[in-house]
Amino acid sequence: MELSVFDLSKHLGVAPTTIERWVRQGKLPVFKTGTHYRFRTNELAEWAARHNIRLNLSGRAEPEKKNDEAVMLSEAVKNGGIYFGIRGDDVKTVLDSCLDQISTIPDDFKADLLTQLVEREQALSTGIGNGIAIPHPRSQLAYLQTPLVPLCFLEKPVDYNSLDQVPVSVLFFLLCPSLKLHLHLLSVLSFCLRNTQFRKMLESCPEPDQIIEQIELLEKTNPI
Amino acid sequence: MLHLKDWYRTVYNKLFRLDDRLLLIVAGSVTGIFSGLAAVTLRLSLEAAVEWLEPFREYSWAFVFPGIGALLSTFYLEKVAREGAGHGVPEVIYSVSRYGGLLRLRSSWSRLISNFFTIGSGGSAGPEAPVVMSGSAIGSNIAKLLVLNDRQRITLVGCGTAGAIAAIFNAPIAGLVFSVEVILGEWKFVNIIPIAIAAVAGTEVSESIIPEQVIFNHHLFQISIADLLPALCLAVVTALISVCFTKILRQTGRFARQFTSSLWARAIFGGCVVGLIGMFMPVVLGEGYHYIQAMVSGSFPMGLFLTAVAVFAKIIATAITLGWGGSGGIFAPCLVIGSLSGIMFYKIFLMIFPSAGCASEGAYALLGMAGVISGVMQAPLTGIFLIVEITGGYETILPLIVVSSISSTMSHYIEPASFYFKELIERGQFLRPGTDARILSDLNITELIESGYVSVSENMVFREFIELLKTSDQDFFPVVEDKTGEYRGIIQISTIRKYALDPGIYDMIFLNQIMDTDVMTASLENDLQEVLDMMDINNMSTIPVVENDRFIGMISKTKILDLYRRELIMQTSVH
Repeated sequence: MELSVFDLSKHLGVAPTTIERWVRQGKLPVFKTGTHYRFRTNELAEWAARHNIRLNLSGRAEPEKKNDEAVMLSEAVKNGGIYFGIRGDDVKTVLDSCLDQISTIPDDFKADLLTQLVEREQALSTGIGNGIAIPHPRSQLAYLQTPLVPLCFLEKPVDYNSLDQVPVSVLFFLLCPSLKLHLHLLSVLSFCLRNTQFRKMLESCPEPDQIIEQIELLEKTNPI
Repeated sequence: MLHLKDWYRTVYNKLFRLDDRLLLIVAGSVTGIFSGLAAVTLRLSLEAAVEWLEPFREYSWAFVFPGIGALLSTFYLEKVAREGAGHGVPEVIYSVSRYGGLLRLRSSWSRLISNFFTIGSGGSAGPEAPVVMSGSAIGSNIAKLLVLNDRQRITLVGCGTAGAIAAIFNAPIAGLVFSVEVILGEWKFVNIIPIAIAAVAGTEVSESIIPEQVIFNHHLFQISIADLLPALCLAVVTALISVCFTKILRQTGRFARQFTSSLWARAIFGGCVVGLIGMFMPVVLGEGYHYIQAMVSGSFPMGLFLTAVAVFAKIIATAITLGWGGSGGIFAPCLVIGSLSGIMFYKIFLMIFPSAGCASEGAYALLGMAGVISGVMQAPLTGIFLIVEITGGYETILPLIVVSSISSTMSHYIEPASFYFKELIERGQFLRPGTDARILSDLNITELIESGYVSVSENMVFREFIELLKTSDQDFFPVVEDKTGEYRGIIQISTIRKYALDPGIYDMIFLNQIMDTDVMTASLENDLQEVLDMMDINNMSTIPVVENDRFIGMISKTKILDLYRRELIMQTSVH
């Protein structure tokens, strides 16, 4: 196979002008077709081996972009489900009854998940103010196929030890199979919750379809 | 009295401390004398051994001599001296490039003794490599005695080599050239004068002690322009023979290791095979200096066919001797093979062109020697000067240069590394001064680590971290376990920028959720080449160093470049 100066500069990770200088100084095995320099791959491989230079002629392996971040918050909420009228008097009982309700989590894992969620709340409250909390576990849940964001509305507000001390009545659970998704959804969620209209709407216990529609709309305006 | 002390100090500083040339010249000549003595001792004892064994040669069981010799040599190296086998030259080169020429004192005699057993009993090997090893060890230990630094020690190692080679061939310039071309690898003004003096000292020692018939005598030859064309053809022949020799030498060792794992069995078996070959073809036995002298002076009795067989018999005998447990070098075998092939070529040439007016058989033996030496060692200057000195005149210089340069170029084309360097290159130990490999191996990674990084706990909340960030200028934060301080991961500002600009999640995440845990880490055991490879493959510009689960510091490419450049300047500067 034959390579041009530009190809070789890509393979070696140096500028084309560097390649041209090396050719001028007689350091590369080169031949000329017309006015263009050409390199043969087998000669280059021999040259690289002799000079102890790493040369990956099969093309630089670009780090694959994972499509983890393409998951939409609205999808995750839809997958997680929306639940109303959940009872409880304190953080622990609320979380317990929420998990009871949420049908998208396999039952076997619920007990473990509950302890993780409670532990997380004890470390630092996930109440972000304005009566909203985002309970989530510290470690990620590898058993999940897709990220779930179950949304739970409480029957009555509960003291959640939030930053602004306002009792919490809306819980966005954030359950993800990977850390990357977790961080992504967390940032999208926090972006949505900064919107006053959206918060107002949540206070009024709206219809599930309406919530998802709103999230979809907001997500589109998210610059990230 | 005080005056005298002052005066002494001034003189001492002027002559030895500030400018060490005089010191090196004095120490170098002492080294040359001692290594010359070592060479002379080996040479004379080999003579004596051959003489002593001569009467027994007629018996049919004489073929076991080389076997017993190889056994003794292996026993001595393994059990008494406890040094690895091998011919020693690569070890000296490696020591010069890696450890500033440090060699053990016992190396200065151990190879001599094992080589005496090998060659004295008839094994086909050369005494030069052991003598080089011994000379360099003498130089190295004289340097140790005088508490010299690495640079000065390397010069003295060069002096030892030069003295040894000069003494054994009675050829001072060949000693100088071999030492600089093969052992040191750099032509530096400060090295050359002491080495030249050592070479002359070695020659003087050997001339004054060794009797006339044992030494290489100078011969005069008449070579004319008409010999150029045959010389060209001879060069091609010697190049092929030297490539063939190098290949067979390397293969035999490998084959021997597959054949049996027992050192003793290998030594006995190999030695006996050499002895058997020697029964029919005595020219292969020993170091062969007598035969070389006979060939050069034109009194070599064999016919064309026998000579051709002898070339290959010698190649195989040498390969077996060295590969199966004997101890010795390839210099003398090269000379024997070279002169045999020179004579073979001469005879063929005369057969085809009976009326060609070319020089004598001895002259072609010399040209053949130069060709094979240059081809095997890929050291053309050594070949040229050695032969020029043996012939004692410059009449042969033109065909010599032609043969040497063509032979070394051609064999370089087929086999890019010479016999001496090939082993080192394969082990990644070929570190000539001023080369990338040398600089990378000299720079220790502890010199490159930037420490003083503030580490953060994995349980720190992101908001706290943002506060820390405001007053810090670090680009990397190692994340550690709270109690044990174990390294868990690293936070790079460039990767968390997205989250740092999103105040909504400040209280939602802990540092162990955003740290990078899959970043490659280096450890203190890695050498710089490995660290650079890791960075290269993963496209990193900095790499954390973690030892025993503790974060030590970071290595950055910026720092590497900085130090690399200084190192290059230091290594290539004249002094």
